[in-house]
Amino acid sequence: MTYLRHAHIMSGPLTAALVAALIVLPLLAGNYLTYLTIQILILSLFALGFNLLFGYTGLLSFGQAGFYAVGAYICAKILLVQPSLLLGVLGGTVAAAVVAVLLGALSVRHTRIYFSMLTLAFGMMIYSVAWKWRDVTGGDDGLVGIPRAPLKILGIASISLSTIEHYYYFVLVVVLLGVFFMYRLVNSPFGLSLQAIRDGETRAPFVGMSVTTHRLLAFTIAGLYAGLAGALLPPLENTVTPVMAHWTTSADPILATLLGGIYVFSGPIVGGALFIIIKDLIVRVTVHWSIVLGTVVIILVMGFRGGVAGIVAGMVARPRAAPAPAVASK
Amino acid sequence: MRTWISSATVMLILLALIVPPASVGQTACQLNVPTLKLGVQGIASGAHADYGRQINMGATLAIEEINAAGGILGCKLEMRFMDDENKPATGVKNARFLVNEWGAHFLYGTDSSGIAMALGPVLQELKRIQFFTHAATHRLTEELVYDKKIKEIVRVSAPVYQDAIAAWVFKDNPEIKRWATIGADYEYGYATWAIFKDVMKKSRPDAEFVGAAWAPFLTLDFSSQIAAVMATNPDAIIATPWAGEAVTLLRQALLMGVFDKVQAWFQAMGGSVDVLEGISREVQDNRFKGKLWATARYIHNWPNTQINRSFVERFQKRWSRLPNYSAETTYSAIYITKLALEKAKSLDTDSVLAALNGMRIPTPAGLRVYRSEDHQFVYNVPAGRVVWDAKYPIPVLGDLVVIPANEYWRSPPFTAVPVGK
Repeated sequence: MTYLRHAHIMSGPLTAALVAALIVLPLLAGNYLTYLTIQILILSLFALGFNLLFGYTGLLSFGQAGFYAVGAYICAKILLVQPSLLLGVLGGTVAAAVVAVLLGALSVRHTRIYFSMLTLAFGMMIYSVAWKWRDVTGGDDGLVGIPRAPLKILGIASISLSTIEHYYYFVLVVVLLGVFFMYRLVNSPFGLSLQAIRDGETRAPFVGMSVTTHRLLAFTIAGLYAGLAGALLPPLENTVTPVMAHWTTSADPILATLLGGIYVFSGPIVGGALFIIIKDLIVRVTVHWSIVLGTVVIILVMGFRGGVAGIVAGMVARPRAAPAPAVASK
Repeated sequence: MRTWISSATVMLILLALIVPPASVGQTACQLNVPTLKLGVQGIASGAHADYGRQINMGATLAIEEINAAGGILGCKLEMRFMDDENKPATGVKNARFLVNEWGAHFLYGTDSSGIAMALGPVLQELKRIQFFTHAATHRLTEELVYDKKIKEIVRVSAPVYQDAIAAWVFKDNPEIKRWATIGADYEYGYATWAIFKDVMKKSRPDAEFVGAAWAPFLTLDFSSQIAAVMATNPDAIIATPWAGEAVTLLRQALLMGVFDKVQAWFQAMGGSVDVLEGISREVQDNRFKGKLWATARYIHNWPNTQINRSFVERFQKRWSRLPNYSAETTYSAIYITKLALEKAKSLDTDSVLAALNGMRIPTPAGLRVYRSEDHQFVYNVPAGRVVWDAKYPIPVLGDLVVIPANEYWRSPPFTAVPVGK
C-alpha cells in the first residue's frame, strides 16, 4: 500500500514543471505535437479510471470501451443538435456514468474471470448497439461532421475552440481536474477501502465495509472517467464510429496501465504517454507497425514487471517501497 | 514524491523524442520547396490490406517515373505512405501527422468512405487538398463539396454511382425483372442499392426489387443473407461486399447452388484484381456458368490504349502484379497533380483548384474530365462478364459494356439519395 500512497502527484516542483510544460506546449510545439498530446491526455484519463478498478479494486474490466463510446456518442449527438461543448461533454460523461451504474449492478457481485467476461460481454453489447442502431448511431459509418463547438459558460461567455490549441487547453484543464479528483479519491478513506477490499475481500465485511457498494461505486467512477475521456474525442476527431466500443479499444487502457504501472498512481498516465508515443514513432517507420508495437509491448511488460513508472519508482525509493500489495498488506 | 519525479522525467523525455527536427536544405525547385511532399494513406493491415498496398504501389510508380523525368517544375517528389487501419480516427491522425509534422503538400488515397467523411472537415482545417482515390460514398462530393463547400476534397476515382451501370447492362433483358441485393451493411451498400434502383426504374419501369439482405463488415458466413434473398426468388442479384468478402460470398453462393437458379449475379466491385485472383479456379472451371458480371473503378484490360497498355506493362514489371483500380486512381491522381501544378505554378490551394477547372487528362483508365461543381473526375468504366482469357494469369472482364458515365452517374444539382435498408 505504501506504493500507492507515496506517489504525491499533485505536489512538488516537478509536478509544477510538467504542468507548466504542458501549458506552454502549444506555444512551442507544432499542431501535430499538440494534437498528439491531446490524445495522450485523453488516454491517460481513460486509463486512470480503468486503474481505479484494476489497480485499486482488483477488478479487471474488458468492457471499458463501452462507456468510452457512450460518452463519445452522447457528446456527438448533443453537439450535432446543440453546439455547446460543455453540454456535450457533461451529457456524455453523465450518460456513461448512468450506464455504468446499471451494468455495474449486474457485474460487481462477480470477481476474477467471471467479472472480466461479463464486462467484455456488456462492452460488446454496447458495440453491437452502436453498429446496429443506424438511425441513431449512423451504424458502421458512425456519426460525422461533429462540430468543435464553442465553450459556452452559463450564457455569459462563449469561447471559440475551433483551433487545435484552444481545444488543447480545454482538454488540459478537464484532464488536470480529473487527475486531481482521482488523486484525492484514491487517497481518501474510500480509496483506502477499495485497496482493503482488493487485498482482503473476505476480511473487509468484518470491519463493516459493503464490498458490493464499494465495487459498484468504483465501477461507476471508472465508467464516468471512461465516458469523460470518450466525450473529449468527437470534437477533436469530428467523428465517432462503433470501433470505439470494441474490445480492442478496451485493450488500450489495459496496455497503458500495464506499461506504466498498476501500483503507482501516475502509472496509467506514463503508460498512456508511452503507448501513444511508441505507436506514433513506429508507424512513422513501418506499415507493419502492429508487429513491432506488439514486440515492444511484450518486452516492456515482461522486462518491466510493475510498469515503467513502477520500476523507476522502485529504483529511486527502494528502501521505502513495498514491492507488492499482497506483501504490503500483511 | 520520487515516484512522480521519475514519472515526470520519463514523460519529459518522451515529449522531447517526438519534437520534430528542423528541416534543412533548399533546392532550385520552382515551387520554392526542398521537395514536393506527397502524403498517402490506405488500408495496409487486416483483411482489406491489398487495397492500401495497391495505392502504395500506384503512387510509388508515378513518383518514380516523374522523378526520373525531372520532377514537377524541377521539384523532386517524396512520398510517405501510412496505414489508416480502416479506422476514421487513425485516418484523421495520419492526415494531421502528414501535414503538420511531415509537411505534406498534398494528400492521396483513403479506401474507406467512413474515413473519407471524417477527413473532409479536417482537410479544411489543415488547408491541404486530398485527392481521394478509392472512397466511394456519394456524400463525400455531394454533401461535403457541393453542399458544404469543402474545397480541399477532390475525387479521382469513380464513386458509388458506377455500380448503377448494372441497370444499363441488363436493361434489354426482359427476362431479368426481379432484383435482390446482398448488400454491405453500411452506407456503400445502401447507396448502391438506392442509386441502382433509381437508375433501373428509369430504364425498366417493370423492374421489381424483391429482396435485400445486409452483411456487416468482415462477414465470414453469408449463408443467411444468401438464403434470405433466394427465398424471394430473384432473377438477378446485385452484391456489394468487396475484397476478400466478395470472394467468400461468391464461393458460398456456388455451394448453395445460387448460380443454378438466378440468371445473373452482378458483383459491384468484382472487377478488382484481388477478387478476380480469389475466384480464379472457379472461373477456369466455369462454375459461374457465365452468369457472373462485375465492374470496378478501373479494369486493367480496358481501354485498349497505348497509355493503358504501357501503364499495365510498367506496373507488372515493377511489382509483378496487375494493377488494381486503387493503384490506377492513385497513379493518375499524382499525374493530375503534376498537370495542375505546372499550370498553377504555385502550391496555393486556390491556385491549384483553379488549375483543375476544365481539366481533361488522358489517364490509363481513359479520359478523365474534372467536374468543378463537386470536384469529381468523371470517366467511363465498363462492366463485363467474368471470363477466363488465356492471355492473362487471372480472370478478366469480357463482353464489355461501355456506357458513358454521364448516362448513369448522378450530376449536380443533387437531390438527397434515400439511403437506408
